[in-house]
Amino acid sequence: MSDFSRIMVFAKRLMRERLFSTRMYIMLPILLLFIPGMAWGFSDPNIVLPGGHQPESPMEVLFYASLGVVFGATMCAVLLSYDSVSRERASGVLELRLSQPMPRAQQALAMILGSWRAILIPTWILLVFSVLIVRYRMGEWPSIVDGLVYFVSTALILLWYVLFTLLASSYTREQGTAISFGVGLWFLFTFLWALVTTMVAYASGVSIGQENDAAWVVLEGGLDLLSPNGVYHHLLETRLPQIDRGIVPWQSWVMALVWTLVPSWLFVRRMEKILP
Amino acid sequence: MEEVVLRLKDATYRHSLYAPLAFKPWRKINGQGIFSANLSLHKGTILGLVGPNGAGKTTLLRMMAGILPLQEGSIYQSEKNSSSVLSDVNLRNIVGHMPEQVRWQGRKTVRDALLEIGEMRQVNESRIDGLLKLVGLRSRIDAPLNELSQGMRQRLTLAAALLGSPNILLLDEPLNGLDPVAAAAFIVLLGKLTDKGVSIVISSHQVEGLVGIIGRLALMHRGQILAEGTMTEVAEQLNLEKKTEVSGEGDAPDFSKYLTSAELIEVEQSSEEWRAVLNKSEPKLLQTLVADGIEITSWTIRQPNVIEMLCAATGQSVEDVGLEVSSTAVMPLRNFRGEEE
Repeated sequence: MSDFSRIMVFAKRLMRERLFSTRMYIMLPILLLFIPGMAWGFSDPNIVLPGGHQPESPMEVLFYASLGVVFGATMCAVLLSYDSVSRERASGVLELRLSQPMPRAQQALAMILGSWRAILIPTWILLVFSVLIVRYRMGEWPSIVDGLVYFVSTALILLWYVLFTLLASSYTREQGTAISFGVGLWFLFTFLWALVTTMVAYASGVSIGQENDAAWVVLEGGLDLLSPNGVYHHLLETRLPQIDRGIVPWQSWVMALVWTLVPSWLFVRRMEKILP
Repeated sequence: MEEVVLRLKDATYRHSLYAPLAFKPWRKINGQGIFSANLSLHKGTILGLVGPNGAGKTTLLRMMAGILPLQEGSIYQSEKNSSSVLSDVNLRNIVGHMPEQVRWQGRKTVRDALLEIGEMRQVNESRIDGLLKLVGLRSRIDAPLNELSQGMRQRLTLAAALLGSPNILLLDEPLNGLDPVAAAAFIVLLGKLTDKGVSIVISSHQVEGLVGIIGRLALMHRGQILAEGTMTEVAEQLNLEKKTEVSGEGDAPDFSKYLTSAELIEVEQSSEEWRAVLNKSEPKLLQTLVADGIEITSWTIRQPNVIEMLCAATGQSVEDVGLEVSSTAVMPLRNFRGEEE
């Protein structure tokens, strides 16, 4: 068996364990409500958003429905992976795994892939339903590129949250601390980032919350690159030409790469040094 | 003498401890660990690793399992007339490690748990059934891990350690949680494995139960190996003489007439019989006691036991050591001092 297939086999085993876990059964209704539910709501022909705005294209509806991913799927990613390392460490299974000939870096990659795919598969299935709902309600398909960007971006944001949680799980010996760290980060990027943006704007002398003020829009767009949720939205906005927040597509994709590679590298490095 | 299969030379690992200072909160110091351990594993032999709590037995086993990296020294694999330094991955290929008290849990079945470890060792599925039969878990193959008792979990851990047919088996407190019959069966199994040439290292507090099968002994204390060899060799290294156990009926005789206080270790008197342990083997004493009309029911000459060896190595008696963990009074062989990295 090659190294690659060994990683994939191990990842598949970890994925199945999480995919059919009790907590997944508990989270599925939440995902169901958040992802296709939002697609259903935002694709309503009579919907009027704050400011009197009405979504015009399927991609715009999917963009608004991505709130379901930000609020629901990312939280599920945290809840699915928070004990990936800490539980095995507390039970002694990690010690047994570390004594196997499979290199630690490969074990780490398998853990990333396993935990990521466990949340990715149900989310992607629900995204497919969302696209079908949008098609049904609006009578129009999103373009292939729109769909591709939507699915890839969603996969990336889930990966980032899985990576943060795995890192937290590898540094903590108690599962409570691991989940607190994961949920704390989720809270920071989902709810508190607006506060961070506001504080930076205040310190920079930019008028706060003025949607028509170019300086505010550029500042908010720039700071969003430092948040995984912000990068996710930037990636989706690459398919919405009417939105301009001063960030060009390549910047968004570079930051997506950074958010992927840095935590992955940190986690692999952490697993190479972890003590049972 | 059996062939040496693995050799530790000056193997050192010290735990890193946080010792924050006001202006250097990330400061770490080197803490306790294993200091310059030299140890040889012989083919088909069981090495008993004995020491009080906190002696470093588990740390040493983890170093030998390739889990903790050596900070100094090397581990050599001996093959015929040559020996080569082993990398961590190569070490893990030839070593099977059974950690202490793995708490298997979850809805995963016994079979899946073993398959997972087996895939990491590239062991095929057919081996799993045989191993489960060997450790007596075949009837529980599809049982969820949550439903296993502690003894069953211990057996499962042993099966996991045996995956890949390792040449060296490291067992950390393997008898914990096993019922007496299972423990006896376990000891028989170890005997079968050594017959096949597997070298075994056992760290256990229940050393007395293992004395019969241990070929070699390593006494550990405060991260150091104090003595290593066969039981006889260790006793010789510690200048321990053979003991004589005498028992008889009625009241115990006044041994002060026959022996000095240094020669008599203890006398126990029960309602109908007595028992004495003498610090020497003195056949003439038996004749003298019988000639004086003392009724002797047994006279046994034995090797010093492991506890006596450990006490001799640490220079303390059981009463002195008590239940204190890593007491500084136990053995000031080498003063431990934290050093900044």
